[in-house]
Amino acid sequence: MSLPAASAEAAKGVSALLDVQNISLRFGGLKALSDVSFHVRPSELFSIIGPNGAGKTSMLNCISGRYTPSEGRVVFDGADVTRLKPNRRAEIGIGRTFQNLALFSHMSVLDNIMVGRHHLLKNNFLTGALYWIGGAQKEELEHRRKVEEVIDFLDIQHVRKATAGTLSYGLRKRVELARAVALEPKLILLDEPMAGMNLEEKEDMARYIVDLNEEWGMTIVMIEHDMGVVMDISHRVMVLDFGRKIADGLPAEVLANEHVRKAYLGEEDPLLEDETAAAPLPEMRSA
Amino acid sequence: MAIANETYPDVTVHDTMPKLLAQHAKAHPGDVWLREKDLGIWISYTFADVQQRVRDITLGLTTLGVARGDVIGLLGDNRPEWLMGEIAAHALGGMSLGIYRDALGDEVAYLVTYADVAVVFAEDEEQVDKLLSLDEKIPTVRHIVYSDPRGIRKYDDPRLISLKELEKRGAEVAARDASAYDRLVSAGKGDDVAILCTTSGTTSHPKLAMLTGGAVLKHCRAYLDMDPRTAADEYVSVLQMPWIMEQIYAFGQALISRMKVNFVEEQETLMADMREIGPSFVLFAPRVWEQIAADVRSRMMDSSAFKRAMFDIGMKLGLKALDQGRRSPLADFILFRALRDRLGFSHLKSAATGGAALGPDTFRFFLALGVPMRQLYGQTELLGAYTLHKAEDVDFDTVGVPFDGVEIRIDDPDPNGLGEVVTRHANMFTGYFRNAEETAKSFAEEGWMRTGDAGFFNTKGHLVVIDRIRDMAKTSHGDRFSPQYIENKLKFSPYVAEAVVLGDGRDSLAALICIRFSIVSKWAEKNRISFTTYTDLSARPEVIELLRKEVEAVNRTLPEKQRIGRFLLLYKELDADDGELTRTRKVRRGVINERYGTIIDAMYAGQKVIDVDTTITFQDGTRQRIKTKLDVIDLGAPRPVNDDTKRRAA
Repeated sequence: MSLPAASAEAAKGVSALLDVQNISLRFGGLKALSDVSFHVRPSELFSIIGPNGAGKTSMLNCISGRYTPSEGRVVFDGADVTRLKPNRRAEIGIGRTFQNLALFSHMSVLDNIMVGRHHLLKNNFLTGALYWIGGAQKEELEHRRKVEEVIDFLDIQHVRKATAGTLSYGLRKRVELARAVALEPKLILLDEPMAGMNLEEKEDMARYIVDLNEEWGMTIVMIEHDMGVVMDISHRVMVLDFGRKIADGLPAEVLANEHVRKAYLGEEDPLLEDETAAAPLPEMRSA
Repeated sequence: MAIANETYPDVTVHDTMPKLLAQHAKAHPGDVWLREKDLGIWISYTFADVQQRVRDITLGLTTLGVARGDVIGLLGDNRPEWLMGEIAAHALGGMSLGIYRDALGDEVAYLVTYADVAVVFAEDEEQVDKLLSLDEKIPTVRHIVYSDPRGIRKYDDPRLISLKELEKRGAEVAARDASAYDRLVSAGKGDDVAILCTTSGTTSHPKLAMLTGGAVLKHCRAYLDMDPRTAADEYVSVLQMPWIMEQIYAFGQALISRMKVNFVEEQETLMADMREIGPSFVLFAPRVWEQIAADVRSRMMDSSAFKRAMFDIGMKLGLKALDQGRRSPLADFILFRALRDRLGFSHLKSAATGGAALGPDTFRFFLALGVPMRQLYGQTELLGAYTLHKAEDVDFDTVGVPFDGVEIRIDDPDPNGLGEVVTRHANMFTGYFRNAEETAKSFAEEGWMRTGDAGFFNTKGHLVVIDRIRDMAKTSHGDRFSPQYIENKLKFSPYVAEAVVLGDGRDSLAALICIRFSIVSKWAEKNRISFTTYTDLSARPEVIELLRKEVEAVNRTLPEKQRIGRFLLLYKELDADDGELTRTRKVRRGVINERYGTIIDAMYAGQKVIDVDTTITFQDGTRQRIKTKLDVIDLGAPRPVNDDTKRRAA
C-alpha cells in the first residue's frame, strides 16, 4: 500500500496506544480484511468510515477480540493482544459498544451500567454473603458512585431505574455508551453510535463523544456513517473499502482523496480492480 | 395561624436576607435548610453550611473588586448555588438580577448591558458558552463565575473563574479578617434595592422592577399570615428562579419560616424527585396542573380493567362528596390516597395556581383528590401574589381576597363595577431600574399602581380578574365584558371546539359555537343519534340541547350582564386555513364579523331560524354547497326591559 500512509508513518514517532499491523481476516474464501495497518495515538478521536460491507465492524471485532485475525497483530499499550480473549481485553482497558444494541433488556439501566464495572469488582458471591464484614457494601458504594458519575455525564438520571428494554432507541444507545464508559477503558470502540438517531439525538451524542475525549481523556475509535459528524469531530479518519485501507489522515485530507470519492460515489477504481475477486460479493453491498 | 406567628423572626429587625440567614445560622446552625439531589443522592446543607458558603462567596466577590451598588447576574437552573450567590450579592450590598435559563443570547446581552452587570454566576458550560459567544456585546461583564466545571476547562478566557476558586479566595479573606463578612451584612439596610426582577415583557424588552430586601421580607410575612409554613415544611424549587414567585417562596418565605428548599436533579426527574420529597406546598401554572390531570387520565386508560373501574368509582364518589362539601372516605381508600402518593402530593398542605384561568373540571379534579388548591393573583411590581383564596373559602371563578395591608380599588368602573384593578400596599417595588418614565406611567397617584387588568369584586368580596383592560369590549349599555374570558370558559367544555363571543356595541351578548366533532360524534353514537356530517350533527336538536346546558353552566359562573343571551352552533369549524383563526388558534374577530356578518345580524335581529346557503372551498380546491338552517337558541338572559329586540323575538 503506497497510499497517503506517508503522513501516518511519520507520525508514528509518538508511541501509539493501539497499533494494528497488517491485519487480514478471512471467512473461508471470503476476505473481509486484507492487510490493514493503522495506529491510534493516546487521546485521539479516530474514525473508520467506508461503504457497507467494507469491513469496518470486522476491524473493530478484531480489536475487541470477537474475531481473531487470520494474519497480522494487534498491539495495545505495548502488548500484543492478538490472541487475547475479549474479557481479558476489557480488563486491560478496551471497551466497546455494539452496532445493534446489546443491553440486558430486562434489567434496569443502573444494573446494565453496573455490569460494565463487573471486572473491577473484587467480591464474589461468597464474600458478598458477608455484606457488611467482607467489604462488599463499601465496594458497592464506591462503584455506584462511579456509575452515578457516568449517569450524570450522559444525562440519563431520569431513567436510571427504568427497565432498559422499555426505553427509546436513542436512550438505549446512550445507556450502552454509559456501560462502556463505566468500564473506565483506556480505549473505547464505538460501532455506529449515531445510527438510527434523529438530528437532535445525533448532536447530543456527538457532544458526549467529544466530551468523553476532551474531558475524560479517553481514546476513541469510532465507526460512523454520518460524514458530517465524522469530519467535524474526528482527529484522524481511515477509509476502508472492500476490506482494504484506501486512505487515512486528517479529515480534510481524506475528503480530498480521489479514491475515497470514488468509493463513495461508486465509480470504478483501478486500485481495487485486482481485489474484487476476493472482496465481498457485490450484492452484499447495499450502498 | 397564630401558632406559626410566634416562631417567625421579626423581619423589621432582620430586614435583609443575609441578616435573616445569619440569625438562623446562629439560632439553628445544625438544621437542614437546603437539599439537592446529586449523583442520585439527596445532599443536605444546614443553615451553618449555607452561611459559611455565602460568606466565602461574598468575600470572594470583594476580592474581584465587586462592591456596594454593583449588579450581579445569575443564569442557570435552580441550584443551591444560585440561592447562595443571590444572598451573597445582597450581603455585599449589590443587586441581584436573575436571568431565565432559556433566555436567548440577545436577551441576555440586553439585560446584562442595560443593568451594567459586573459579575455573572453561570451554572454550567451551556450558560458559559452563551455568555462567551456574546463577546463584545457584554462589555460590562468583568467576571463569569461557573459552578459546574465540566467542559469549561478548554476555555482560557480571563473573565472565567470557578465558584470553588472564588470560595477559596473568600475563605482566605475570612481567615485574615474574621468580622469582614459581618461588617458587610450589618451595613446593609432593608431599604436597599436588593433584587432587580424582570417583568414579563410580551411586547418589548423586559423592564426591571427594583425590590428592596425589607419589602420582600415584609410582603412574604403578609403572605405567610394567609398561608402559614413552618420549619417542618418541604418545598421543591421548580419554578424558574428569576420569577417573582420563586423569589418569594425559595428566598423570602423559606428564610422567614425555615421551610426546607429542595432542588431536583434534572428537569426530567422532577416528578420522581418530588415524590421522594413529598412537598407541603406547590405552585404550578394552570397548564402544568392540566398536564398532570391529563397524564393521570391517559395512564388510567392504559391500566387494567379493574383499576379503571376503581378509578371511575373513586372519581364519581369523590366529586359527589366535593359537591356536598365533604370528603368520601371510601374514595380516599380505593383511589385518592394511592394517587396522591403517586403524584408526590401526599403531604400537601397548600397548593396554588395563578397566571391564567384553570379549567373548572381540573380544579374540581384536584380538590376531589385532596389537593388543597387555591388561586392567587399578583404582579412582579407588587411583589407577586397579593390576593389568595382563604383555605376555607375557595371559589375557582375568583382569585380570592387581598392580603392584610393590601388595598385594591377598581378604577373607571362600568355600571357593574368592572374596571381596571389598581393596587397599593406598603411593600411595593420602588420603580423600574433606570426608567423613570415607565415608573411614572405605571402609577396612578400616591403609590397606587395600575395593573392594566380588568376585574371586579363579587358579592363575597373576592376579586375576579377577567382580562387585560385593553382587550375588553363594551355593550351598547356600557357594560364591559371580555370576549376571550367567556370564550375560554366555553372552551373548557369538552364539547366546544371554538367559540366566538359577540356583543361589542350591541345590546347583549351572543355566541357562535363550533362543536368538537370528535367528542360530540362519540356522544351522539352512544346516545343513538344518527347524523351524516359535521353540519348535520350541529343541527341535531339533541346536540343543541347538550350545548345549551353547557352554555347555561358557563352563564351561571358569570355576572348577570356578561351572560350569553343567545347562541347558535355554526355549520363548520373555524379554521386557520380560512383565516378565521391565527396559527396559534386565536379568533380573528374582524374576519369572523365580515364572513358571518349576515348570520350575526340575523341573530341580533331576533330571527329564530336562519337560512344558510353558502359554498365552502376545501384545501384541495373542491367546493361544497351547504344549505342548512341554523337554530338560534335564546337563553332569555336578562336584558333591559325596554329592549325592543326581545319583544320582537318573543
